[in-house]
Amino acid sequence: MSSNSVIDLKGKEFLLIGGLTVSVALLAAFFPDLGSNGEGAVDWISIPLVGFPIITAGIMLAFASQENRSRRKMLSSPVRLATFVFSLIPLAISTALFFDWLIAVNWDLSYNEYALESQYAWIDSIGVSWHVGMDGLSFPMVWLTTFLVPVTILTTWDEKDGATYHPLLLMMGGALIGVFVSLDLFLFYVFWELTLIPMFFLILKWGGKDRRYASQKFFIYTFCASVIMLLGLITLYFMIPEGSGEGYGTITGRTFDMKAILSYAAAENLGDGVFLGMGMQQVLFWMLMLGFLVKLPAVPFHTWLPDAHVQAPTGGSMLLAGVMLKMGAYGMLRLPVALFPDALIEFQDWVMIIGLVSLVWGSVVCLGQTNLKRMVAYSSVSHMGVILLGIASMQPLGYDAALFMMFAHGIISPMLFAVCGSFKHHYHSMEIGSMRGMAKFSPYLAVYMMFGWMASLGLPLLAGFVAELMIMIAYWPVYGWWILLPGFVLAVTAAYYLWSMQRTIFEGGDEGQPPESMLGETPPDISLHENIGMFILAVFTVIFGIFPFIALGMMGDWSTAFFEGVFKLGGI
Amino acid sequence: MIEPFSPEFWKVLAPETVLLLGLIAVFVIPNLGNTTFRIPLTKIQVPWFLGGRRFRLTGAAHLPGLIGCATLLGSLLLLVIGQFDGSFKVETIGTGELVLFRIDEFARLFEMIFLSAVFLASMASLDRVPATIYEETDELEEMYNNRRQADLYILMLTVAVGMCMVALAQDLFVLFVGLELASLATYVLVAFHKETKAGAEAGVKYFITGSVASGIGLYGLSLLYLEFGSLQLNDLAAGWSESGVLAIIALGLVLVGFGFKVSAAPFHFAAPDAYAGANSPVAGVLATASKAMGIIGLIRVLVVVALPNTEGSAVWVYTLAALSVITMTWGNIAALGSKNPKRMLAYSSVAHAGYMMAALTAVGAWRWGHISAPANYANVVIAAVLFHLVVLVAFKLGAFLVLGLLEMEGGASRLSALSGLGRRDPLIAACMFIFMLALAGVPPLAGFMSKFLVVAGIVSTGVGDITTSRGDLLIGDLHWVWWLALALFINSAISVFYYLRIGVVMFLEPPEEGRRKPLPYGVSIRMTIWFCVCATIFLGVSGDFLIDMCHKAAESLNLV
Repeated sequence: MSSNSVIDLKGKEFLLIGGLTVSVALLAAFFPDLGSNGEGAVDWISIPLVGFPIITAGIMLAFASQENRSRRKMLSSPVRLATFVFSLIPLAISTALFFDWLIAVNWDLSYNEYALESQYAWIDSIGVSWHVGMDGLSFPMVWLTTFLVPVTILTTWDEKDGATYHPLLLMMGGALIGVFVSLDLFLFYVFWELTLIPMFFLILKWGGKDRRYASQKFFIYTFCASVIMLLGLITLYFMIPEGSGEGYGTITGRTFDMKAILSYAAAENLGDGVFLGMGMQQVLFWMLMLGFLVKLPAVPFHTWLPDAHVQAPTGGSMLLAGVMLKMGAYGMLRLPVALFPDALIEFQDWVMIIGLVSLVWGSVVCLGQTNLKRMVAYSSVSHMGVILLGIASMQPLGYDAALFMMFAHGIISPMLFAVCGSFKHHYHSMEIGSMRGMAKFSPYLAVYMMFGWMASLGLPLLAGFVAELMIMIAYWPVYGWWILLPGFVLAVTAAYYLWSMQRTIFEGGDEGQPPESMLGETPPDISLHENIGMFILAVFTVIFGIFPFIALGMMGDWSTAFFEGVFKLGGI
Repeated sequence: MIEPFSPEFWKVLAPETVLLLGLIAVFVIPNLGNTTFRIPLTKIQVPWFLGGRRFRLTGAAHLPGLIGCATLLGSLLLLVIGQFDGSFKVETIGTGELVLFRIDEFARLFEMIFLSAVFLASMASLDRVPATIYEETDELEEMYNNRRQADLYILMLTVAVGMCMVALAQDLFVLFVGLELASLATYVLVAFHKETKAGAEAGVKYFITGSVASGIGLYGLSLLYLEFGSLQLNDLAAGWSESGVLAIIALGLVLVGFGFKVSAAPFHFAAPDAYAGANSPVAGVLATASKAMGIIGLIRVLVVVALPNTEGSAVWVYTLAALSVITMTWGNIAALGSKNPKRMLAYSSVAHAGYMMAALTAVGAWRWGHISAPANYANVVIAAVLFHLVVLVAFKLGAFLVLGLLEMEGGASRLSALSGLGRRDPLIAACMFIFMLALAGVPPLAGFMSKFLVVAGIVSTGVGDITTSRGDLLIGDLHWVWWLALALFINSAISVFYYLRIGVVMFLEPPEEGRRKPLPYGVSIRMTIWFCVCATIFLGVSGDFLIDMCHKAAESLNLV
């Protein structure tokens, strides 16, 4: 270090001071009365679930940003361990909250009512407040995120440059939880965009050969759609009448508070008129939907996903497929559908067609893929299409099923990507058919692959089946015999999964046929960490396949309440 | 009304007085030496102090810089304290009918922008201009370099004084004098590295185009005087509704002058060359403070004077709308193709000028009467513009300072100079990335907040209060300024391409040959970069107080 000054403030000290100052400023700005909300109850969301992962990850990233290579290496093991331990804390809290829901009865699950709500003044002048809370829509997603982060860290324990990699995963988790718990449009958008930054770095630094292209495409694609969505949100903001009180701006007199906006819209919609009128409702509906459809992704806007997935490192893919795609479905149910039900009724067929096209396109393209990870990515597109079908069905059961699909896919798809990742890690190739007889070399990997593939194609008693069946049941009364199309596509899904499995796991005779990329060496089996991570995912796939009602209870309550609270007709 | 040069005058203008005193100090102190003066016809030697061999203390090469920074900081502190200790009240300065200066929240806010930008740039320059410790040396180059320390800070302080004058001026002629004072100093600052080809070229280009633009603006002012017989803002505003074609022509000419300062298309051609040739802190001042100065001109002329109230006087609303869209699109598209990071930042600053002009269009449309919007909304839009100008100091200047740090080890005129920065100096690379994200408008940074406010302001005017007047709305019911918001967002989506490219280059590509070592040290420039980063994050997450301040400043224009 070429330092000729008196005090060598370069590097860590500087950063620590800066980081601490910023975090203290943040805390002081957000939480004047730290740790308790208006009613004096403990705020379990703001700090423990959202602030803690982001801030600790930031501090660890600061520690890990060393110019010195050997020091960086030295740090990677303790940082990894710390990240893992820190990621368990939100999991413990959210699990405890889940049992609290099971045992205690004080969770009000009627429409637009939230549990553990806390609201703090933030940017008073334009009506932005730090308002967080959970309901039956967001809680399963929050639990899923807190659950996936430690599992992902465990599965990708050996990733290179762990000192910066694992904290990024933790930060990603915090930002994702922020999306699900925020009850303020501004806050929602802040977290929505914040998730892009760790993922951009995960792809850029740990990605495959084309990571430069993939990371930029990922960022720009979703950013473009989000700004259109933001314009819709701001336009909406100025169409809600002025008010005063908590959450209303002192300068503009309007509010970004989601709860206030939703209840105003619901009152208008359930009354005689239509909230904002049909024409404006349709425009705003599609402006918001655009942001969410790109994130989901639905077919015309899906092209960023395969690129991002193929290039992303395993951990990034697991969180991307597991939770980040669900942000799209979550946002759709939270905003456009809830605000503009009449527009949805108007465009019901269009939403259904987009879903159907995603489903069909996703699976047909899967048939032609030679890259294992690309195939799994396209299968995600088709599963997201199923969620759109659930939303388009406009029935409580359909919404219930869409929620469960989000949840089930959030457990199954990380497993698929973990399998792909181990494949890449140990076989240095992801070409289907470049090797045969994996069952001989890597029996564990073969088992997990088979299990994951079966779960994803919808084998009964596994979580994916429940969701698909429910959606089909909800679909039937609305669209009748059109059900044959998704039914047929699910058969195609089975075909490509089974075919790819047959080509990789089985064939190859007694000796098997390791890929050329192994250069003649015998491929090893998966490591203990990968094994544990995938085992946990498999266990939960079975648990939610056999006892879906653990999660379905909450989701069902929410969908019924949502349906009564939003739609005038009470069903089509 | 306070008479000029009365005791009260010096009291209310304390920050500016401090600047003037500092300016004199930078002139005088480095020249103090042991010279004596012999009284004629005697042998009595009277010590005269100016000139001769410099004292050890006054000859120190870093002294002008320290005086300059201390002056700017002191002036800034006086401003801030005056603003927040509760004793602030609006004052006007002038004689008889003639109002020269008006001290209100608006002027004070702009002065804070100017002084903080110039202060940060001066702080950063402390390490950048080579200066040697005072030695009795005969080496010419060292002597020149030490001499140039004083030059740089004299120019910086002159820029600050001129800009403060612009902020306070209530008479277009006073405003013009301040503008020229600041401009002349910036022309010299741009050409400060006159030995290099780029520096000389930039200086000449900037000077010629700048003086042509000023000349056209001055001609416009003379036409305005012909029409109204006065250049007082009050008189112009009062007489505007009865004015004829001559006033519109004059307005157009004046716009050319200010359009050059904000680097609006099609007057922006000199900006990329000037920014690329100037050293980075100076380029940062051009992109922040100088731009804010142009925006003051636009606000004073367009919004205070020429706010349309009849069909005929609203011509400029359309013109400005078209210009704003052209400016932002041109800036972004040109930035996409530029391989020089400084040119890229220059074009991005052109785009930002377009965003602010779109907001000013919304103010014009608000009063025009085709929309019914609450009276307060014009203030909301102007507050958004002011907020944008304030936070621009944090991240735009910060980005230029990072390039300045790279210049210390030799040149930052190629994108590849940044490559490998993520490995060479992760913290500085992280800062640069934060600045880029802020420029692109990614939450939760200050750049997002400002873009958000600007769009919210435009949309507020576009939507107006149509929801209360009728229930069934169509998209066509929104005023056309709403589409400016869409254009702004599409443009900011385009801009993400080139901002991200910087991040990719820093974190992905290997460092250039010969640039593998950590960056040069430079305490003061690093401190300023850190300050800018903290401000970018802090104003992004809790900018509430600043929004209130900007809103008060907008209210003090008394538009409603």
